[in-house]
Amino acid sequence: MKVKVATKILEANDRIALENRRLFDKAGLFVINLMSAPGAGKTSILEKTLLQNSGLKIGVIEGDIAGSDDAERMEKLCAPVVQINTGGACHLDANMIYEVLNDLPLNELDLLFIENVGNLVCPAEFKVGEDIKVMLLSITEGHDKPLKYPLMFQKSSALILNKMDLAPYLEVDIDKIKRDSLSLNPHLKIFEVSCKTGDGMPEWIEWIKNKVGNERKNPL
Amino acid sequence: MHELSLAQNLLDIVSAQCLKNGFKEIESINIRIGRASGIMPDALSFAFNAIKTDSAVANKAFLYIEEIPVTGNCKDCNNEFIVEEEYILCCPSCNGSSFVITAGRELDIVDMEVS
Repeated sequence: MKVKVATKILEANDRIALENRRLFDKAGLFVINLMSAPGAGKTSILEKTLLQNSGLKIGVIEGDIAGSDDAERMEKLCAPVVQINTGGACHLDANMIYEVLNDLPLNELDLLFIENVGNLVCPAEFKVGEDIKVMLLSITEGHDKPLKYPLMFQKSSALILNKMDLAPYLEVDIDKIKRDSLSLNPHLKIFEVSCKTGDGMPEWIEWIKNKVGNERKNPL
Repeated sequence: MHELSLAQNLLDIVSAQCLKNGFKEIESINIRIGRASGIMPDALSFAFNAIKTDSAVANKAFLYIEEIPVTGNCKDCNNEFIVEEEYILCCPSCNGSSFVITAGRELDIVDMEVS
């Protein structure tokens, strides 16, 4: 006998992600799912963002396979932070986020960053309840990455090109990264940043401030 | 990379449906995987076959995977097109960038044959 199933394989994850989103919206919180390959500078951009005088109260969920180094770096900057260790999983999923929500003062925050596990593939496939996805690509990773890992570029609202201070020493074609990224996703907002020198940070901060402001005006 | 956890989700969903409706055994399952979903059909099959042996209802289930090509629709010239790659960079007929991806990201269970 043939029976219809007609269910998305990720249905369970999507359902919990929707519940997370509802809780975030109730708390008036804007949530960014921050993704990149390992070592691109996710934690560094969060440090720099926390150090800017943005006027935003920012919390962080750190996702790593193991260890709590990143959470310690956030705590040093007095940000409310929770560390998730996935114990081997290559990405965060909605349930991992749901289980730590009670450990964060959601109502006191304006903006929550969910720093995903370093991986240019899988994190893009799992919703965690975020408003938007933002990805980092450090220019040392090479200009071939957009076409090799298209999904993350397609699903992100913004691309932060980090380590721009190294551009003079590399043979990387920045224009090609931008061109291919925009071909994959014409709506992608691109920032050129150096966490080391602080170049490009003001534009990034201005953009997230606008995003948080719009969330306030247009809650779901 | 996480085909094993997807295989587990798949097994959980079909097992729950069997339990709910009193089906004793799953003979086969039809799923659709889009080529832009980031999932490798072979790896998903391998993972599913590895874990199904522990399932009372699905241990003989055969997994049929239909691969869905990436399809786009161009808003500039209204062209519907299919690409070989896992992504679309521009409309193949007018080179425009105002396209929407209309298929290719599926990760769906369609139906199953049960007894």
